[in-house]
Amino acid sequence: MRLDRERCQGHGRCYVLASGVFESDDDGRGMVIAETVPLVYQESARLGSDNCPEDAITVIDD
Amino acid sequence: MATNADDTGPKSENGFDMGDPELNRHPQPGYRMLRDSGPVVRVAGVIPSRASADAHLVGRHADVVTVLRNPDVFSSRFDAVHIGQVRPLIPLQIDPPDHAKYRKLLDPLFAPRRIALLEDRTRALVSDLVEAVADDSGCNFHAAVSEPLPSTVFLELLGLPVSRAAEFIALKDGIIRPSAPTPEERSSMVDDAGARIYAVLQEVLDERLETRQEDFISDFLDAEVDGERLTPEEVIDICYLFFLAGLDTVTASLDCMMARLALHPAERRRLADDPSVIPHAVEEMLRWETPVTAVVRVTTQDTELSGCPIAADEVVSVMLGSANTDERAWDEAASVDIDRRVNKHLAFGGGVHRCLGSHLARMELRVVLEEWHSRIPEYRVPEGVELDYSPSLRQIADLPLVW
Repeated sequence: MRLDRERCQGHGRCYVLASGVFESDDDGRGMVIAETVPLVYQESARLGSDNCPEDAITVIDD
Repeated sequence: MATNADDTGPKSENGFDMGDPELNRHPQPGYRMLRDSGPVVRVAGVIPSRASADAHLVGRHADVVTVLRNPDVFSSRFDAVHIGQVRPLIPLQIDPPDHAKYRKLLDPLFAPRRIALLEDRTRALVSDLVEAVADDSGCNFHAAVSEPLPSTVFLELLGLPVSRAAEFIALKDGIIRPSAPTPEERSSMVDDAGARIYAVLQEVLDERLETRQEDFISDFLDAEVDGERLTPEEVIDICYLFFLAGLDTVTASLDCMMARLALHPAERRRLADDPSVIPHAVEEMLRWETPVTAVVRVTTQDTELSGCPIAADEVVSVMLGSANTDERAWDEAASVDIDRRVNKHLAFGGGVHRCLGSHLARMELRVVLEEWHSRIPEYRVPEGVELDYSPSLRQIADLPLVW
């Protein structure tokens, strides 16, 4: 999973909706906790990605 | 090719009809007509103060996103909106790259982890407001809750005297809803209110220069951006924007949401029975109601959107409410589903100028809905009452609820 820090504008949807996968920095921008998402969190990762108003999060299936 | 729509009665400055109360009450069908007319709809002569008085309405989600994400072409600079300011408002009217240095200072203050610290105080304020009317059989929700709550939260945060809230609200309304018959008179009313806001801010700033307090104005005076202090003018230009944004938008959002719930008992009951739905309901009502209907940009160069040419120095009205209900972008765009899980609405705008106060707004909206419904779960709009929404920023100054 990738979060494009240039695109992110700090809407905060990802870490509010999927707190196991994303976290906030001090400015309120999103960060991915781990680029490789454990199986149990995959749905959560997709929820965060689907709710990003800036389309900044890409989930890549392996 | 842009569609002309210059013969359909009075317009608000963003070009969307303001003469029709039904359109303000239910803008969604109007948005649909706008989107179906074309990607860019030119409305002639709505901004008399500009060389080109036309506004270009952009209503489709994909085009709205393009405009918001390209500030170099679609600028948010000084002349995009006239709200009584004499200098660019910070950070709204500063484009990249300077924009980033102000957001670097302001973003942490409004990030969710900082806003969370305000929740207990906000809940106590809401609880007092709700308690004050709970034993009556009804109230004007706008006057009882949606106007006093955000004003108090915001004035405390900024460091302006809460005892003068009524005066500040009147000044803000003088700018956002000037009540005069001609555009010239409205414009002079806006300038007059603006001058008074600058005077109030200067007064408080002078006090803080003497003695700092625990508030944002004091923080701004000591803050450094790239190793440099903000000038007193910069502090005022930040506070002026906050003054207008902080005193109006959450009020409008609360009005829209409580009206929606009062008129839709199934949604209201679901939310009252299960408060865990509230955060999702807030997002869905932000999408559907889009209380701040539009933001404005100015083109910096000749450009085009989905094949429609727009010349340089033209005003573009970015219709957020239309993007949020565009069937091209949303599943079931026209149905309100308070359990909707995928909801990347643009009610707070997007791109570099994403609403700085969005996390504060979300917290206030959620806390009001939680506290109100735990105390007054059953309420409605009295029989026969038609609610009137103000155009552009959708407040309902008279919002009677009975229980």
